[in-house]
Amino acid sequence: MDGIHDLGGKQGYGPIDVDDGGEPFHQNWEGREWGIAQCARTPGITIDWWRHCRELIMPEDYLGRPYFDSWAQTDFSTYLEAGWMTLAEIDAGKNLSGDPSPEPLPAMTVEQVLDEDRAHAFRFDAEIEVMPDYSVGQQIRAARHGHAGHTRLPQYVRGKLGVIHAYHGAHVFPDLSAQGEEVHQPLYSVMFAAAELWPEAAGSNDKVFLDLWESYLLEPRG
Amino acid sequence: MTEFDADKVAHIHRELHSHLPSESALRVKALETLLVEKGLVNSQTIDAWVEAYSEEIGPKRGARVVARAWIDEEFRRRLMQDAPAAIDELGYLGKATGHLKVVENTDSVHNLVVCTLCSCYPFSILGIAPAWYKAAAYRARAVRDPRGVLTEFGVELADGVEVRVWDSTAELRYLVLPQRPAGTDGMSEDELAALVTRNSMIGTDRDLNAG
Repeated sequence: MDGIHDLGGKQGYGPIDVDDGGEPFHQNWEGREWGIAQCARTPGITIDWWRHCRELIMPEDYLGRPYFDSWAQTDFSTYLEAGWMTLAEIDAGKNLSGDPSPEPLPAMTVEQVLDEDRAHAFRFDAEIEVMPDYSVGQQIRAARHGHAGHTRLPQYVRGKLGVIHAYHGAHVFPDLSAQGEEVHQPLYSVMFAAAELWPEAAGSNDKVFLDLWESYLLEPRG
Repeated sequence: MTEFDADKVAHIHRELHSHLPSESALRVKALETLLVEKGLVNSQTIDAWVEAYSEEIGPKRGARVVARAWIDEEFRRRLMQDAPAAIDELGYLGKATGHLKVVENTDSVHNLVVCTLCSCYPFSILGIAPAWYKAAAYRARAVRDPRGVLTEFGVELADGVEVRVWDSTAELRYLVLPQRPAGTDGMSEDELAALVTRNSMIGTDRDLNAG
């Protein structure tokens, strides 16, 4: 979707607050939300659906509220959509469904969590029989349009000419994964000259690389 | 179970906008309380995740990877070729590093990593991303004005250095391998790792100090 999240190249956001302090969590609640996102049971969602739910946050909330706050909002939205909680339950802080709660999850130690983190080295690629359409060094054009659903083709490269830099095999296609369908499609790193992307970069030798799925790509004349 | 209904979620966000308390701490508290009540989360496990990412998992892991690559050419080669396998040798393979790629700075190339669409980050080797990495200003500007961004971070590029920006649009995650500073011959892996800054592994720092 052409939402507020698609920030690449947008102007007017001002200088960067470069001094972060270095601590992982600046407020206690940030750590709580991080932890919830790592270990709560979820209703059969995919990472792409979760990202799409975050993109659907109202623009003023997306830009105006703190980062981990938007994770909490996204979690709420995925549970509400799936019927795993209701607004009345959020207000009451209680299970009002009348259904028995599932078996409580066991408490994990830090050691167990470190093992769990190792187990979270998820891979998204798979062997497929289809050969990739493009080869390294070949010129392509990024698709000119997105669509209303989740996509990982940012607006700032649409319609622009690039060159295939690397091929990574077939990876889960996010546009369909956000609808619960697991389909693998060739994935490439594509190099775009900064001069192709931005008027103020004329004459620059700088480059921007994006990882793009095959259906985001066209022949140069396309 | 989820129906992947985006219209419904857009409506839910509008309801939540007027429904949730405005303070972030209260929102997250409300979420945790209800998840515990429904048996969907264990608060002690949340404690453990916070501790893991406060004490154990963080940029010191990435710094160790960089230092080893500086002193062990064979490791550097494996890291460039198959980064997940190489960091697994150190026990650092984990969350969001299953498709890690390492990009190497040279005298003529400087690399900078961003995620313009959300905030993708190689958690198991760099820990929690800094606030600026997740902020709109960095996400908007890194791909369009990388040199201006670098200047704000105090990075000066020599003439002729090309900037390569990596926008993490898929499940690949990027780690910048900074250049080993001059005057560090004979330093141990521990001493070298202490010179590596978090920002140098994202690309918002370049010339490391030999100490």
